[in-house]
Amino acid sequence: MGDRRLTMWENMELRGYSRRDFLQFAGWMAACAGIHVTGLGQVVKAMETKPRLPVVWFHFQECTCCSESFIRSSHPIVSDIVLDKISLDYTETLQAAAGHQAEEALHNTMKKYKGEYLMLVEGSVPTEEGGVYCCIGGRTALDIVTEAAEGAKAIVAWGSCASNGCIQAAKPNPTGATPIHKILSGKTIINVPGCPPIAEVMAGTIVHLLAFDRVPQLDGLGRPKAFYSRRVHDSCYRRPNYDAGLFVESFDDENARRGYCLYKVGCRGPVTYNSCGIIRWNNGVGYPIQSGHGCIGCSEANFWDNGPFYQHLASFPGFGIETTADKVGVALGAVTAAGIAAHAITTNIRKRKLINGEIKKQETTHSKGGA
Amino acid sequence: MSRRIVVDPITRIEGHLRIEVEIQDGKIVDAYSSGTMVRGFELILKGRDPRDAWAFTERACGVCTTVHALASVRTVEDALGISVPPNAELIRNLMFCAQYIQDHVVHFYHLHALDWVDVVSALKADPKKTSEIAQSISNWPKSSPKYFSDVQKRLTAFVNSGQLGIFANGYWGHSAYKLPAEVNLLGVAHYLEALEWQKEIVKVHTIFGGKNPHPNYLVGGVPCAINVDEASALNAERLAMVGKLFDDAQEFVEKVYLPDLLAVAGFYKDWGAIGGGLPNYLAFGDLPTNGYNNPASFKFPRGAILNRDLSKVYEVDGKDPLQVEEFVSHSWYEYAEGNDKGKHPWVGETKLNYTGPKPPYEQLNVDQKYSWLKTPRWKGNAMEVGPLARLLVAYASGREDVKDAVTGALKALNVPVTALFSTLGRTAARGIETKLIAVWAKEFYQQLLTNIKNGDTRTFNNEKWEPETWPAEAKGVGLSEAPRGALAHWIVIKDRKIENYQLVVPSTWNASPRDPKGQRSAYEASLIGTPVKNPDQPLEILRTIHSFDPCIACAVH
Amino acid sequence: MEQRAFGRVYVWQLPVRFYHWINALAVSALAITGYLIGAPLAIQSGSEASFSYWFGTVRFIHFLSAFVFFFNFIFRLYWGFAGNQYANWRNFIPTTKKQYTEILDVLRVDILQARIKPLGSIGHNTLAGVTYFVTFLAFLFQSVTGLGMYSAMSDASLPRLFSWIVPLMGGDFAVRQWHHVMMWLFIVFTMIHVYLVFYHDYVEGRGVTSSMVGGWKFIEKESSHLK
Ligand code: HEM
Ligand code: HEM
Ligand code: NFV
Ligand code: SF4
Ligand code: SF4
Ligand code: F3S
Ligand SMILES: [Mg+2]
Repeated sequence: MGDRRLTMWENMELRGYSRRDFLQFAGWMAACAGIHVTGLGQVVKAMETKPRLPVVWFHFQECTCCSESFIRSSHPIVSDIVLDKISLDYTETLQAAAGHQAEEALHNTMKKYKGEYLMLVEGSVPTEEGGVYCCIGGRTALDIVTEAAEGAKAIVAWGSCASNGCIQAAKPNPTGATPIHKILSGKTIINVPGCPPIAEVMAGTIVHLLAFDRVPQLDGLGRPKAFYSRRVHDSCYRRPNYDAGLFVESFDDENARRGYCLYKVGCRGPVTYNSCGIIRWNNGVGYPIQSGHGCIGCSEANFWDNGPFYQHLASFPGFGIETTADKVGVALGAVTAAGIAAHAITTNIRKRKLINGEIKKQETTHSKGGA
Repeated sequence: MSRRIVVDPITRIEGHLRIEVEIQDGKIVDAYSSGTMVRGFELILKGRDPRDAWAFTERACGVCTTVHALASVRTVEDALGISVPPNAELIRNLMFCAQYIQDHVVHFYHLHALDWVDVVSALKADPKKTSEIAQSISNWPKSSPKYFSDVQKRLTAFVNSGQLGIFANGYWGHSAYKLPAEVNLLGVAHYLEALEWQKEIVKVHTIFGGKNPHPNYLVGGVPCAINVDEASALNAERLAMVGKLFDDAQEFVEKVYLPDLLAVAGFYKDWGAIGGGLPNYLAFGDLPTNGYNNPASFKFPRGAILNRDLSKVYEVDGKDPLQVEEFVSHSWYEYAEGNDKGKHPWVGETKLNYTGPKPPYEQLNVDQKYSWLKTPRWKGNAMEVGPLARLLVAYASGREDVKDAVTGALKALNVPVTALFSTLGRTAARGIETKLIAVWAKEFYQQLLTNIKNGDTRTFNNEKWEPETWPAEAKGVGLSEAPRGALAHWIVIKDRKIENYQLVVPSTWNASPRDPKGQRSAYEASLIGTPVKNPDQPLEILRTIHSFDPCIACAVH
Repeated sequence: MEQRAFGRVYVWQLPVRFYHWINALAVSALAITGYLIGAPLAIQSGSEASFSYWFGTVRFIHFLSAFVFFFNFIFRLYWGFAGNQYANWRNFIPTTKKQYTEILDVLRVDILQARIKPLGSIGHNTLAGVTYFVTFLAFLFQSVTGLGMYSAMSDASLPRLFSWIVPLMGGDFAVRQWHHVMMWLFIVFTMIHVYLVFYHDYVEGRGVTSSMVGGWKFIEKESSHLK
C-alpha cells in the first residue's frame, strides 16, 4: 500500500462495512460531536477523503488518568478511534515499542507528517531547575514539547494538568509545573480540563477535529464550548432542591438520603464549568453529585487551592484552614463596633463640656442675630 | 566486556521509567531502575485539611485510581480514631474489587500481552483453528471462526494501511515470541475485547463514587447515601447494577482472562525460572471483613516472608519506627541529618535535590543518586510487593481459598511451586487473585444487601467530622494493598492541618534504587540473569519489568 | 471665642437624595441576601422541592436589588457631571492643596477629637469625599464581579459585557470569593459611615444627618460659600 494512507471510508469498506453502515456511522459521529443535520454532508465528505490522522500523545507530569478516562469512551469506543479513525503513533501508555524504537516512531511521524499531525498532551511541564523534574529518554519535557509543537497541526491539552497545571501546580508548586498554553505561546491550544475529563468529551473533541478538520469553537479559556459552556450547577438534577433551599447539612443525614442539594457540604457546582450533569460519567451512569459527594471543581483552574473542599468558601489566607471570609468579616465587624463605641464614649467624656458650651453660644447667637 | 543498554521510555506502563542494564554474554549482569518524573505531592499536602487529603493522594495515579484515596481516608481515620459503619467498609471493599479486576485485566491485555503475543503473526493465523483453540479452553460465546476472521480482516486492513499506530516499531518477529499464529490471533481478539470490556466494571465506582477514574471518598465512611425509597440515593436499581457488573466481571475473568493467561503461559514455561529476583515478600493485607483494626479479618492477610521460607510469616507493624524506613542515598532528595540513614515515614522528609546529569543525557551516574524514587526497606530488607507477595503471604498464612486457587493454577500449567518465584509467577499470581477477588466481591455484595434488608443503612460516621472535635496533635497510618502491592500513607496532624504526609507506594518498594548497603530493590534484582537475545530489541527486559506492572507516577508522587 | 451665625444651604438635590436612599436600601438588601446565598439557613423540612422556592427567591431578590443598585449607581456617576457643585465629581477626588489640608483637619476632628474652626467644605468634607470615592470603586468592583457571575446564567447582553472578569480573576470560584469578601467591606463601611454622620452632626451642628432627607445644611454665616 506504500505511503498512501487509506481514508476512513476505505478503511471501513475494507472491513466489510456497507455504504449504508458508513453513512449511519458518520451521522452518529456527527451527533456525538454535537453537529446539526445540515453539517452531516460535511462529515461524510471529510471521512471519505481523509486518511487516518497521525497523532502523537505525550505524557509529562501526570497521573495517566486522562489516558484511563479516554479508554473508557463508549461513543465512539476507543478501539474504533485507535484502529480506524486516527493513527496513534506515539503514546507511552499503550504503544508496543519501547526505548529507541518508541522514540523512533515519534520522530518518524514528526518528520513524515510535519505540519499534519495532531499533538495531544497529558500532564504539565515542569520548568524549574531547567526542567529536570520530568525527563524522557534523557530529554526534558520542556525540550520535547517545544520541538513537537513546531510541526503540529493542532494541539490539545488533556485534563487539568496540561490545561491548568492541576495538582502539581498547587501551592507551593515545587517543580514549577506549567500548563502547556503558557509554554507554547502563539499556538492555538484546545484545553480540555477536568481531573480527568469525561471520556466522551475527550473523544468528542477528537471527533470534532477529524470530522471538520478545524478547531471547535473555544471559549475565553480555550475550552470547547460544546462541553464547557455550562456550569455543573445549571445542569444538575439536584438544582430544584437548591432553589427550594433544601440542603444536605451533613453527609448521610436525612437530607442526604433524600438527595437534597450538596451546596452546604462544599459543592463547587455553582462555580464549575463541565458537562458532568449532561453527559455524565462512564456512559451516563452518574456523576459525583449523583453519588452524594459535592463537585470539587476538578475542571477549574486552581481548584486544589480553593479548598477545603467541604466548605463553601476557601479558607482565608493566613488564618488557618477553617477560617472563611465570614469569620474574618464578623470579627472585623465586631472590632468596628467596638471602635465606634469607644470613640463615642471618648467623644462624650472629652468634649461634652466644650461642645455644650459651643452649642449654647451658637444658640445665643441665633436667637440674638436672627437668620 | 559488558555493554550498557538503556531503555527509556519503558512503555506500556504508567509513568516515566528508565532502565539501564549491563549485558554480558547475552545475559543481564547488572541493572538500574530510575523514575524520571516527580511532582512533589508530599510537599503540596502540607498545611491542608486532612479531610481533603484523599483527593490529593488519589491523583498520585489514575491507573490504580481509588487505592490512594482509600489509604488516605484510613490514615486520617486512624489518626483521629474514627471507625466507619459496616456498609461503608463493604462499599469500599466493592470499589477495591472493581479496581483490581479492571486494573489486572488491562495490565494483562494492554500492558503486558504484547510482550508475549506477536500481533503481526496473527495475520497468518487460520481463524478456524483459533476458534477451536478458544472453544477448547473456555465456553465464552464469542469464539466462532467468523468472529476471529473478522478480527483478522480488521487487523489486515489496519496493517495494510501503512499506518501501524500503537503497533508501529514493535518487536514483531523477534525469536523470543513463541506462540503459534492462532494463539496470537486469539490474543489480538481479546486485546480488543478487553479494551471494550474494561470500561464496564468501573461503573461500580461511578455508582458509589460518582466517576471513574478518581471516584470520591469520604473520611468517616462513603459519600453515597442508602435509601431504597429514593431516586437519588443507592436504591434497588443502583444496587442491581452493581450486582450485574460483578456477575459479568466474574464471567469475563473466568472465561477469558484466566484461560488466556494459562494458554499463553503454557508456551512460556521457561519464564517460570527467569526474573525471580528478591526472596523477600511483603503484604500489608486488605479487604477487612470486620473493621480495619482487625487484620485477622482481612481477606488478604498481612505479613512478611523472608528468604522464600513459606513456613514462617513475620508480623508487620506500620507504626513501629524500626520496621518501615525510607532511604535516599541513591535518590534525588536530601535528608537534614544525612542521606544514609533511614527514616520512618512519620518523621519522613521530602526535599527535592536533583544531582543527576544535565539533560539531554545518555547515561545516569548510577554510583551516585539516580532516581526520583526513595528506597523503602522493611527491617532493613529489600522486599517485593504485589500480587505474588499477597498470594505467598496468604498461602503461608494457611488461607484455604488462596491455596486452592494457587495449586489449581500450578496444576493446570504443570509447573512446580518454585515457578511462582519468577516473571511468569508474578503474571500468573495476578490472574489467580483476580479470580479470588471476583468471588469475594459477591460475598461483600450479598452482605451489603443483607445489612440494608436488616435496616442498617448507615454509610458515614460524623462524630469526628468537625475539626473542633480533633486533638491538637494526632498521627495515623493507613495500610492497604493496591493492585501493585503494599501501599501505606502516614500522616501527622497538627492544629487541624497536615503537618507531614508521606506515601510509601508499591512501586516505590519494587522500582526503587539501591539502598546505602548496595542492596537492590525488586526490579533491579529480578533483571539479573535475564537473557537478552538482541540487545537492540529489549523484549526480555520488558517482560520482566512488565510482570511487576510498573506505576512510576505512583512510586514517586 | 468667635461668634458663629448659621444659614441654610441647599446642598443635596433631590436626585442625590433619591440616589442615596435607593442605594442604602439596595445595599442592605444585597448584603442580607448575599449573606444568605453564601450561608443558607438550615431548613430540615422533609418537603418536596417543588413545593417551595425560598432560596430561589433570595437569589431573585439579590439579582433584582443588584440591577436597581447598578443603574442607580450609573445614574449617580452621570449626576457627578450634571448635578450641582456639591454633587460634582471634584468633591470625590482631591486635587487642590486646600482639599488636602482639609483631610488633615477632619482627621484631627475625628481621631484626635480636636476642636478646630469650621470646615471649608459645605457638601462632603474632603475626607468623606475620598471615602465615597473608594466606596464607588467598591460599587464598581461588586457590580463587575456580580455581573460577571451572572453572565453564566443569562443570555442578556448586559451581564455578558462583564464575562471577561471570570478568566481574569482565575475562575468563578475566585470571583465569588472576592464578591463575598467585599460584602464585609460594605458592612463595615456602613457602620462607620452612619456613626460618623451622627458624630459630625454632633460636633459641627450643621444638621448633616437630616440633610440627606431634606437637602439643607446649616452653615456658618461667615463661610465664603454662603451667598
Ligand atoms: C453591595 C453590593 C453587593 C453585595 C454586598 C453582594 C453580596 C453578595 C454575596 C455575599 C454573595 C454570596 C457569595 C457566596 O458566598 O457565594 C453574592 C452572590 C452573588 N451576587 Fe452579589 N452582592 C452585591 C452586588 C451584586 C451585584 C451588583 C450583582 C450583579 C448582578 C451581584 C450578583 C451576584 C451573583 C450573580 C451572585 C451569585 C449568586 C448565585 O449564583 O447564587 N451582586 N453577592
Ligand atoms: C441610616 C443610614 C444612613 C444615613 C443617616 C446616611 C447619611 C448620609 C449623609 C448625611 C450623607 C452626606 C454626608 C456628607 O455630607 O458627606 C451621606 C452620604 C453618602 N452615603 Fe449615607 N447614610 C446612611 C446609610 C448609607 C448606606 C447604607 C450607604 C451605602 C453603603 C450609604 C452611602 C453613602 C454615600 C455613597 C454617600 C455619598 C453620597 C453622594 O454624594 O452621592 N449611606 N449619607
Ligand atoms: N504502585 C502503585 Fe499504584 C498501584 N497499584 C499504588 O498505590 O499504580 Ni498507579
Ligand atoms: S488532570 Fe487530573 S486526572 Fe488528568 S493526569 Fe492530571 S491529575 Fe491525572
Ligand atoms: S448539588 Fe451542587 S451543582 Fe447541584 S444544585 Fe446543589 S450546589 Fe448546584
Ligand atoms: S468534580 Fe469534576 S467530575 Fe464534574 S462534577 Fe465536578 S467537574
Ligand atoms: Mg513518599
